[in-house]
Amino acid sequence: MNIEGYEFPEGLYYDKNHFWGRVEGEVVVMGMTDYAQKMAGSIVYVGLPPEGKKLVQGKNFTKIESGKWLGKVFAVVSGELAAVNEELEKKAKLINEECYGKGWMFKIKPENLDELKNLMTDPETIRKWLKAEIAEHGNK
Amino acid sequence: MTTQLQFDEKRRKAITQCSRCGFCRAVCPIFDLTKRPITNARGKMILLKEVMEGKLPVTEGVAQALLRCTTCMNCTVNCPSGADPQEVIKAARKDMVAMGFSNLFEKMGEVVEKYGNIYGEQERHDWGHKKGSARYALFVGCVGTYREEESVEESIRLLDLLKVDFTMIDEVCCSGVMEDVGYKIKGELARQNVREFQKTGAKTLITTCPYCYRVFKEHPSYKELGLEVKHITQFLKDLDFGLTTDKKVTYHDPCDLGRHAGIYDEPREIIRKIAPNFVEPRRTRENAMCCGSGGGLRGSYPEDSIEISRNRLSQIIEETGAEILLTECPSCLHNFKNARLRKQKIEIYNITEFIGQLYQERNKKEVA
Repeated sequence: MNIEGYEFPEGLYYDKNHFWGRVEGEVVVMGMTDYAQKMAGSIVYVGLPPEGKKLVQGKNFTKIESGKWLGKVFAVVSGELAAVNEELEKKAKLINEECYGKGWMFKIKPENLDELKNLMTDPETIRKWLKAEIAEHGNK
Repeated sequence: MTTQLQFDEKRRKAITQCSRCGFCRAVCPIFDLTKRPITNARGKMILLKEVMEGKLPVTEGVAQALLRCTTCMNCTVNCPSGADPQEVIKAARKDMVAMGFSNLFEKMGEVVEKYGNIYGEQERHDWGHKKGSARYALFVGCVGTYREEESVEESIRLLDLLKVDFTMIDEVCCSGVMEDVGYKIKGELARQNVREFQKTGAKTLITTCPYCYRVFKEHPSYKELGLEVKHITQFLKDLDFGLTTDKKVTYHDPCDLGRHAGIYDEPREIIRKIAPNFVEPRRTRENAMCCGSGGGLRGSYPEDSIEISRNRLSQIIEETGAEILLTECPSCLHNFKNARLRKQKIEIYNITEFIGQLYQERNKKEVA
């Protein structure tokens, strides 16, 4: 679905830190939303922590950078870091190119899938939230 | 408003001095990456000669070509004709802006003026350290504050451990970087820093950033400073730390500290005290390859910047086999840490940060 000019595919879970999650078998895949990657600009670095790191929903666990911007990456669910997208090590720009596809960032082995209820899926809810974000942070 | 590139006597001489020998190609970090002639000094000197002789019009393409330089000075120190291409390039950048070819750093200038730092961070960082009067005043700069916070915290902790009587100030960006990317230093920010320093009554300004060091020492906007200016390695070199590491350690010379400021020995004096197993990379001192972060390249061509850093890091690892890479520049530190691959196990620190960690390790052992 296109919301305010940004792609927000259906079937994903979205948090208010601008990350998305998708259940894939026993893991939750996460990445950055289209709005966030456009606002960030050309991404040049993502910190890739070691597998096994314990994550807490809504807490930041690594960094992401474009030329002059530094941001935090927040876990969409609590659990253990199962995998990182190693392609991002030399080509962090994949996040800009395919933020919902090849630019996925991390896979998390979730502690409790009930936590997904804390995330947004309803288009109207996402629209209201995104409009407020655009009003505060601007548009690209 | 200037309507054309200015070719004063000094610049004409530099451009015509270039014999097109191409020695600079062997040491240019961007040419090393791209293999494109326009990206290195020789290519830019040919370009500017064509413009000077009226054979080439000034275009956006020329402006962009001039941005693709880290101003590392490796070309300058290796030029057999004695030319200084990076000075010519910086001057030409200013002319391009004056001619209406503004670049992305115009926006950065607005950000610096509004927020007092190059990143637009709205909250000033509080290090929790004394701000008042002291013998020494410490300045850490934007990159250390907003990108390598942990390193700066360790440096502050080290100075406290060594019982140095120092104060910090409510810093704003030294803003010298604007001069390298086509614009002018922010005079009001410089005056603000000078006022804050003078309020401390300090005799010496110590900075952890080689670029800020150069700006405070050299730029006319800081001529009223009234304080001796030292890079932290100059300050610490005569101290005895009383601890060592047996790890294999190497050192990367930051361009702003080495080639630009001539400070090569002081960091090494410190490292030799703490690391008996110190090994130099093959390209070292005035021949050190650039990390890719200078001259505005991290902002204008960030992917190139990180690739250059990756190349330099790989070179260092291959040549030295070191376990620890030390430098003393927040920009080099940050670029290397961004560039490091997961499979590369080398640890990277600023010297002061590393010494601070050695103290912490020793204290932990003593407690245990």
